[in-house]
Amino acid sequence: MWKVVLQGLLAHKLRLALTALAIVLGVTFISGTFVLTDTLHNTFTTLFGRVYQNVDFEVRGTAALSGGSGNTGAVRKAIPQSIATTVRHIRGVEYADGVVNGYAQFISPGGKAISNGGAPTIGTSYDQNAQLSALRLSEGSAPTSSHDVVMDAATAQKYHFKVGGHVRVLLVGPPRTFRISGIVRFGTASNLAGATIAAFNLPTAQKIFGEVGHYDAVDVLVAPGANKKSVQHAIAAALPKGVEVVTGQTVANEQASDINQALSFFSTALLVFAFISLFVGGFTIFNTFSITVGQRTRELALLRIVGASRRQVFRSVLAEAFVVGALASVVGLGLGVLAADGLEALLKVFGVTLPSGALVFEGRTVIVGLVVGIGVTVVSAISPARRAVRVPPVAALADYHADHQESSRRRIVSGTVIELIGVAVLVLGLSKPAIQLVGLGAFAVFIGIGMLAPVVARPMASVIGRPLARLFGISGKLGRENSMRSPRRTAQTASALLVGIALVSTIAVFGASVSKSVTASVDNAINADYIITSSAVGGAGGFSGAVSSAAGKVPGVTAISTVYEGAFDFRHSLSNLTAVSTDELSRTVILHMKSGHGTSSLVAGQMLIDTNTATSKHLSVGSVVPVTFAQTGHSTIRIGGIFQPNALLGSYVVGDAYFLAHFDNPLPVAVLLATAQTGHATATAIHTGLRAYPGLKIQTRAAFQKSQQSQVDQLLGLVYALLALAVVIALIGIVNTLMLSVFERTHEIGLLRAVGMKRRQVRVMIRSESVILAVFGAIIGIIVGTALGAAFSASLKQQGITDVVIPGSSLVIFLVLSVVLGLGAASWPARRAAKLDVLRAIATD
Amino acid sequence: MISEEQQAGNAIPPPPAAHAMDLVKTYGTGDAVVHALNGVTVEFARGRFTAVMGPSGSGKSTLMHCMAGLDTPTSGRTFVGAREIGLLDDAGLTEMRRNQIGFIFQSFNLVPTLTARDNITLPCELAKQKVDQAWFDYLVGQLRIGDRLSHRPNEMSGGQQQRVACARALIQRPDLVFADEPTGNLDSNASGEMLAFLRHSVTELHQSIVMVTHDARGAAYADRVVFLADGNIVDELHSPTADSVLERMKLLGG
Repeated sequence: MWKVVLQGLLAHKLRLALTALAIVLGVTFISGTFVLTDTLHNTFTTLFGRVYQNVDFEVRGTAALSGGSGNTGAVRKAIPQSIATTVRHIRGVEYADGVVNGYAQFISPGGKAISNGGAPTIGTSYDQNAQLSALRLSEGSAPTSSHDVVMDAATAQKYHFKVGGHVRVLLVGPPRTFRISGIVRFGTASNLAGATIAAFNLPTAQKIFGEVGHYDAVDVLVAPGANKKSVQHAIAAALPKGVEVVTGQTVANEQASDINQALSFFSTALLVFAFISLFVGGFTIFNTFSITVGQRTRELALLRIVGASRRQVFRSVLAEAFVVGALASVVGLGLGVLAADGLEALLKVFGVTLPSGALVFEGRTVIVGLVVGIGVTVVSAISPARRAVRVPPVAALADYHADHQESSRRRIVSGTVIELIGVAVLVLGLSKPAIQLVGLGAFAVFIGIGMLAPVVARPMASVIGRPLARLFGISGKLGRENSMRSPRRTAQTASALLVGIALVSTIAVFGASVSKSVTASVDNAINADYIITSSAVGGAGGFSGAVSSAAGKVPGVTAISTVYEGAFDFRHSLSNLTAVSTDELSRTVILHMKSGHGTSSLVAGQMLIDTNTATSKHLSVGSVVPVTFAQTGHSTIRIGGIFQPNALLGSYVVGDAYFLAHFDNPLPVAVLLATAQTGHATATAIHTGLRAYPGLKIQTRAAFQKSQQSQVDQLLGLVYALLALAVVIALIGIVNTLMLSVFERTHEIGLLRAVGMKRRQVRVMIRSESVILAVFGAIIGIIVGTALGAAFSASLKQQGITDVVIPGSSLVIFLVLSVVLGLGAASWPARRAAKLDVLRAIATD
Repeated sequence: MISEEQQAGNAIPPPPAAHAMDLVKTYGTGDAVVHALNGVTVEFARGRFTAVMGPSGSGKSTLMHCMAGLDTPTSGRTFVGAREIGLLDDAGLTEMRRNQIGFIFQSFNLVPTLTARDNITLPCELAKQKVDQAWFDYLVGQLRIGDRLSHRPNEMSGGQQQRVACARALIQRPDLVFADEPTGNLDSNASGEMLAFLRHSVTELHQSIVMVTHDARGAAYADRVVFLADGNIVDELHSPTADSVLERMKLLGG
């Protein structure tokens, strides 16, 4: 049997290739994702391992807050400087010195604050001990005086800074100019994934980071030959409460695990899209095998006459699917490695320099790629294989006419059932919300639609095709007739595109709703005229605290509000706290109180919470709640009021005085200004007044709204790009089906040519058919996608999506796009059909 | 269409419906070479029914394909009316097939998705020309397919399908109709009906028909039979009967 299968495959290499292409693309996506994230994981783990491999121990404050998962939530209090001295005197300790970290951002020669995407701007103290330090001097010398700084090699290269030159640095306090005493690398990399590094000598660092007399940690080197474990015990014994000692390995693991958490989120997101692509690919495989089984009726019947059992025929079709799937998966795995490489190069263009590391190709990648690739192919081929089994042996004889059952009551019933189940699961998933249920429900909905589509295929194809028949005469008419002659085939071919367009429509509707809600939410949260945030991507990082006072001095500014954010424990769970300055709050922030008092509570050192939190945590005005801060420890606070949800303020709000008393040197995240007038003159005055602080984004409220919207749009763009692959696979499916269909209709096309149809008319005929298919798929896809998107948006009302917007213009664009795609998909099959050798085509075999 | 009186009265005889000069067609190379046609010169008269016969491998189908512009000869010249086929490009050939030649094949003559009416008017639609309604009605009446006009091919018998094919072949009143074993798949009744109609269209309507066949009874309907063997014309018979055709074929060993 195997020989028959293999011969069959080889005889139809082109068919094989096209079928396999869909799987190749899907597996490439999966493989590429895994390779990239595995490589990153490995690289970072190795990097941190190497960096900390010489650090025997680190002494640091214990995690003050309960912490999220991993190290991310751990906020530690700074330790007194004297601890370094204590540790140095412990037997077995060869070297111990303090480390401080804080905010330091370079300003480029052009006056712009330097940052790469969302990467942090690291300010740190330079450790004189070459063994301990993570930084390696590649040029110049270590910082010695209080005017010295060393800079990371990547920044120096990009902005042409040289040793001996000067650079301005943004700090928590006013910016200062430093002399570049040296250039450093992080381990072997010129920077750490885009993060810039500014290192100062220890006393200077303590001063500029506001930690005079304190260290963030003390790094310890053990004398050679000493027993590490006993040294660790000795150190621990000498430490006061609230200070711990951990091994360098622990720190390395913590750092690496933070990054790995982010990576796993990233890889999960990519994998979702990869699976969507494979799902669409499955439709294509199903189609192809359905058609080829139909074409091979005679051949299969012959096998049966010669004595093959039903089981053998079934298995031979599945075997073919297996071989195709296996080959495609192997190719996809290989291409995935290339794709990961490409992705790395792409990231470099955006300033994210990943530390160089060999690409990691784990066994797990191979297994998942093969299993998924082969699995999808074989599962999609099961139904066609079952049909192959039903071919009676008599079909091998010339006169047999296959009985094409077009409508199957059973299929309609089961399709409807699956559809209803899908909708139910989806609704359940949306109401909880449970994302897995949503995914499962959507999956079932699409399967159901795929099964029910043939019911509407003929009437819809007829309607869609009518203008084409009118415009293009006999060619258009024949194209229309062809699309109507087999509703099941039409529906199946269009299904893949249907799924792709449906997903794109869902995103469009969801995105438009989010966008509008974002706009509305800004209007409900802020009434300030100008909003100052950090110019780093996403407003990350904060900016100097001196900005507030500088802004206050600008003429025309009538009220200022500084906004801070920080992590704290609220009733023993990690949460985010927002603080606002209390003078003239109502001029800049919209606070609708539901109960209790607003501004006066804040002034009195009480907390405000929003209505959602009050309900979910069963709190009311007057409740007293335990809270914990990293710097000041445990305490309690009284709830002074409950306000309507406000996008800016979040769930928990305190006054700035209270905040500053509980956090060390916090950086503001925003400064809100109310001005006497809003106009060009005022804007200029603000920019002039804050000239000394590059790295700020100063926007009017309208501009702020727009930038929030554009962030949503950017994310949407990325999602569209990822979905594009699914659409490409769907198109490949259409090309494949059309090619097979042309092959099937060789006689007919030959007859038309013999009777006098021009080559161009043949092409128009094929193209019409393709456009009708594509538009059919797009219409249903748009309807389903819009419904899904609306449902999704409506279900997130609590989370802030207040409006459900249906972007009509985008949907129209999708429709037009489907026409274009249909034309494109038809170009190769149309040319093939037109080039058919008339003589061979009409030869009766 | 030229009437017999006109033909008789003209000093210069009108060109034959089709003719070929020294037609050679070879396939393959080296040891596998096949000489399908070995220098065939033949004329098919206007307003006449000619049958082309010969054993399988004689080249009769190849001859028809070359003279209908469906295949290119290796050497030699072939004409439909006064037009030389070898000088036409694909567009020219296509146009010729639309307007000057009608085809009837053994099977698979009709487009499955079109009704009988649409199949018949197909050449007109391809040429974007109006259908001659009177001529259409006449053909439909003669072929007795009036009640099948709105049916699709899969709703008709073999005989009805072939009659529809006849109507299509004649709808543009072509200079020449090529029929390749048109009765091959039909029972004797349907065969008889079809051949009678072809005869009628030549005798009464002055069409020219060339029919490739190996059915002696079918050949008997023709005015002239041309015999092929091994790529050459070996014999010719005028006013054939079924018996005389069979005799001739026995001589040829076919």
